[in-house]
Amino acid sequence: MMASRGTGAVLSRAARMRQKLQSALEANVLDIEDVSYQHAGHAAVKDNANETHFNIRVISSKFEGQSLVKRHRMVYDLLNDELNSGLHAISIVAKTPKESGS
Amino acid sequence: MAAASLAGSSLPLPVSERPRTARVSAFSRARAASPMTWRVVSIGSPRARSGRCVAAAAGGGGGLAPAMRETLDKVVTSNKVVLFMKGTKDFPQCGFSHTVVQILRSLDVPFETLDVLANEALRQGLKEYSSWPTFPQLYIDGEFFGGCDITVEAYKSGELQETLEKAMCS
Repeated sequence: MMASRGTGAVLSRAARMRQKLQSALEANVLDIEDVSYQHAGHAAVKDNANETHFNIRVISSKFEGQSLVKRHRMVYDLLNDELNSGLHAISIVAKTPKESGS
Repeated sequence: MAAASLAGSSLPLPVSERPRTARVSAFSRARAASPMTWRVVSIGSPRARSGRCVAAAAGGGGGLAPAMRETLDKVVTSNKVVLFMKGTKDFPQCGFSHTVVQILRSLDVPFETLDVLANEALRQGLKEYSSWPTFPQLYIDGEFFGGCDITVEAYKSGELQETLEKAMCS
């Protein structure tokens, strides 16, 4: 295991995801929940069983006027590097502030 | 039929199951009507192929080959409803794929499924074709409808049923 040392060292995937989503979407609400443990018996999850599955809830005005498919694509695009490096699946709830009633 | 036209193409796609009318059992109806639960842990079927269900190893794109695009154009229009999934209708290899199969079955629509685990070229090609990095991927009337989350949400709101009805009548 790599030890994190001080600032700028090794960020968890969740932390990287948070940074990427927050800065690009300027989210009002951004919940990232690691649910990898639910998939522990999954064929995909072997040696590197950490941080493979997440639930993400984003409320952002950037979703205004965008279809659900487009919103999800926006999130997927932002997390492309993660998807190519072991992130297996994310469950996405993407709403606008209006839709969320906040 | 899709299978026939694909047989001669350079990229044989395994049509995992012949199109047929989905059976609806009281069980699947009851399940679908209840709040969706994410039952992923219990998916281990005896046919689970370990190591096949790994995350995208795809590098940085590189463009979709025209032949692949053409083939996929045909596949997604080969049936009103086409589901690209992990595993088959009867043996889904992933909880998200399983969920979408359950929804489609509960709605009593005929749908065709293709197993992306059985064809790596298909799997990688689709990610780019759909601009969607994960599976399942649902196509209705040749249009990308969404993945699992969107399908579940549209099912709850009734939009999925509407879209399917329109597709079936067109």
